[in-house]
Amino acid sequence: MRLLGDTHIDFMKYRKFWISISFILIAVFFFAVFTIHFNLGIDFAGGTQMTLRFRERPQVDQLRSLLSAAGISDAEIQRFDQEPLNEVIIKTPVTKGSEEGSRERVVAALNRRFNLEQGGKLDANQAGADALGQLLAAADPDHVSGQPAAAAAPGASPEAARYAAVGDALIKERRKEGLFHDWNAVARTPGLSPAAQAALRARAYLGDYAVLGVENVGPQIGKELTRQGFWAVALSLIGMLIYIGLRFELRFGIGAVMASIHDVLVTLGLFIVMRFEFNLTTIAAFLTLIGYSTNDTVVIFDRVRENMRKNRRKPLIEVMNESINQTLSRTIMTGGLTMLTVAALLALGGDVLRGFAFVMTIGIIVGTYSSVYVASPFALLWEQLFGSKSRIRGEGAQAAAGGGARTSAAGGGRTSAAAGGQAKTGVAAGGAKTAGASPRTPATPATPASSQPAAGSTPRPPRAAAGRRRSGRR
Amino acid sequence: MNRNLLWRGVVILASIVAAAAAAYPPKEKIRLGLDLRGGMHLVLQVHTEDALRAETDGDMERLVQQVKEDTQGKLQIKLQRTGDSRFVVTGLSPDDMTEALHAADRALSRFNRKEQAGSITFDMLPGEVSKLRDQSVNQAVQTIRNRIDQYGVTEPVIQAAGGERIVVQLPGVDDFERVRALIKNTAFLEFRITVYPKDGSHPAASREEILQHFGGKLPDDVEIIQGTDQRGDRDSGPPQPRFYAVEKRRTVTGRDLRTARPAQGNMGQPIVEFHLTPDGAKAFATLTGEHVGSGLAIVLDGRVVSAPVIRSQIRDSGIIEGSFTQREVEDLSTVLRSGALPASITYLQEITVGPSLGRDSINEGLRAGVVGSALVVLVMLLYYHLSGVNAITALVLNVLLLFGGMGLANSTLTLPGIAGVILTIGMAVDANVLVFERIREELRAGRTVRSAIDQGFERAFTSIIDTHVTTLISAAFLFQFGTGPIKGFAVTLTIGLLASLFTSVFVSRWIFDLVLSRRKVAALSI
Repeated sequence: MRLLGDTHIDFMKYRKFWISISFILIAVFFFAVFTIHFNLGIDFAGGTQMTLRFRERPQVDQLRSLLSAAGISDAEIQRFDQEPLNEVIIKTPVTKGSEEGSRERVVAALNRRFNLEQGGKLDANQAGADALGQLLAAADPDHVSGQPAAAAAPGASPEAARYAAVGDALIKERRKEGLFHDWNAVARTPGLSPAAQAALRARAYLGDYAVLGVENVGPQIGKELTRQGFWAVALSLIGMLIYIGLRFELRFGIGAVMASIHDVLVTLGLFIVMRFEFNLTTIAAFLTLIGYSTNDTVVIFDRVRENMRKNRRKPLIEVMNESINQTLSRTIMTGGLTMLTVAALLALGGDVLRGFAFVMTIGIIVGTYSSVYVASPFALLWEQLFGSKSRIRGEGAQAAAGGGARTSAAGGGRTSAAAGGQAKTGVAAGGAKTAGASPRTPATPATPASSQPAAGSTPRPPRAAAGRRRSGRR
Repeated sequence: MNRNLLWRGVVILASIVAAAAAAYPPKEKIRLGLDLRGGMHLVLQVHTEDALRAETDGDMERLVQQVKEDTQGKLQIKLQRTGDSRFVVTGLSPDDMTEALHAADRALSRFNRKEQAGSITFDMLPGEVSKLRDQSVNQAVQTIRNRIDQYGVTEPVIQAAGGERIVVQLPGVDDFERVRALIKNTAFLEFRITVYPKDGSHPAASREEILQHFGGKLPDDVEIIQGTDQRGDRDSGPPQPRFYAVEKRRTVTGRDLRTARPAQGNMGQPIVEFHLTPDGAKAFATLTGEHVGSGLAIVLDGRVVSAPVIRSQIRDSGIIEGSFTQREVEDLSTVLRSGALPASITYLQEITVGPSLGRDSINEGLRAGVVGSALVVLVMLLYYHLSGVNAITALVLNVLLLFGGMGLANSTLTLPGIAGVILTIGMAVDANVLVFERIREELRAGRTVRSAIDQGFERAFTSIIDTHVTTLISAAFLFQFGTGPIKGFAVTLTIGLLASLFTSVFVSRWIFDLVLSRRKVAALSI
């Protein structure tokens, strides 16, 4: 099965059109950045986020009025209508001068209406395993004390060990739904005798809600994370530029990095428009995206480099077109396969990873597009602005001489002796061209050496060596 | 089978065995991060200036005593702390100056001093200051560790993180309230002499009231400290604030405590009984002896817990009364016993994840991973037929190696890490695609099966290296940037990429070679 036959699409012909489209997209999204409220997560903005589960479906209005009665008017309340979990997320922004967040204030505010203490009883939806175990040990409903210790740890009293195990079992049962909705749920705990259950009912009550998770980020940490996040993104872009610059040439590095920046901006714009929350995991997604979007580009550039070596006379623009066409099906396959996995994550991976999955899914689509329509045109543009004209139009006699020699060395190599000889000539010719052609483009003649570091030590290009190995095996 | 093939097969088999051994049983070998397992992650700021101030106060007191001793009580110097580690002695006649300098030579070794007309400024040596700061952070780490150990948490991480910070990670904790209180509420204990109200009873209702008492300006050696909220009826409205004016000087602190235990007061109310170290007892006796009739403010974390009146000199033991519950008294005794913190602490960051939240995340992640992998497998089979089987074999091995690598590196699987695993699955087959597409291309160019496979792997190799390195660069920056969960993602991604390099090049190639060595293949199923 083949996705595409031999394609001969002139991708570069409309490059100006596509680049304009990209610029418009980026402009639109910049506009979005400044007009749409940036949904900054508390990782960066600082603040407190609490996840609560209620026994009974809470009314958001009621929660809000409870909070504002306690002076917390800027809380964001989000209810998940997934029965029977009754989950609510309450987000409060950073309070001035306080690193510790508004967690205690929120709990205090809610407790004016919920979790009303019942005569000093223990809240079985809040207490830990220890507390529950101690409570039961004090009551000793199963009359363990006095009995010989069966498997109790030495030193521990038998009732303590017995009820500690029950306490653990209770917590385990409570974890299933985050809290006990009613006493029937408590009764389902394995190992909880009816007597123990009665003792629990007498000494504990079921709180109306339980705090499942709290995340509080003080303004200090928030600021640091923002700064570090920015630097991580910037430095990894620079890292890409350096790596591709070394492995390929500067202009390719520029093209790849422009494509990455393009992908990040377009994806970020969509991300903001879709009102996803920007948090630490999002930064992770964008950094991964930078790495991944460079992948596709590298595959194309790798082919460009190979084709350039095959035929030095061909204008870069044609080489690029040819290379993009040759690698088109793998560009689509690799992008598509990775997208399958992240799209599954987007659909099924849950709320926490949704932002991450969104960035990767969109990023891969945009990244595949940009590898074709952004990276190569930018490499070309860079060449036109700063590079040697000869390479683009395929002019220059010395270049032709060098190219010709190299072509036969790379493409053929049927007879080992000839391949070696020609390769040597090729390098020599290439070297002559370096000196003679254009001092402004140190990048171009550096191609073979930088792409194949082994060539630096021996005058023989590795491609010829490969050819010899091949012929030897036959 | 030729020797080369055999040798490569042995390498692959060995890696499978090693990975399986490192990852099995997964429940033990793959540690789950806090976000999946539930627990607390805290970043604490140690206010080391507290420790500096306490040390400086102690040194000031030593100087006062030294001068008193030298002059048989004739000279009473006036001194005041003007910074965390700086104080000034003022109002000195030239004779007094000589006396004071003489005393300072003997009593204070770690201060720079600057003499001006009638005054001397003492500044703690910078080396001493940073030593004290480090010490107090380390001591805080130790103290918190003691407390956590007494509470009992498996695999707690408590470490200094630079910048006077401490990172605390407590996996599997289920009673967040209690642990928070254990770490923080009972941090810094000090005893101060109350100035207004003089005997500690009937505290002021506002700062203004105290200022009014002093005629608008507080004396230099006095500061105002708020009282803790009185426990009251929940519906009776907000608790009444209480304020005390106390001496800035703190000669006895939690560091002077030898032991503490819960007890019951006269009315059966829960109290804490404490005993002081010999040095602490001496200082405490001096302090209380000089201030009989004054209030003794017991300050915990910068809040006055109670301020009983000093009826007579107290030597080495006393009680702490407040509106405590039995549980609070127990925990307070625990932390006082395990060593009071040298300085107060604030939470810069706090992440608590209940175990049920983590469980949901794992289930969702697993579901997404299974569906995503199934889709990848399906497409690979449809598109590459039997070669797809090759790729899938490599993929399975890749995931096995990934978990083995995580087990070996003792790294933690976090929620973003699960995303990393899923992403690795998607990216691992990319390398296979590069190779397969290249093989197809070579076949179309008329090569034999064997030569096409050789060429396919050889020529795709540079692309594969480049694509992996670019992603590894990102992962490296991610690692140094990230905290907990993100670091987990970076590690997972890195191990996955390295594994994919091995499986998609070495293993996949070996499978092709193995098949070709067995029989003549005229047409490759690709």
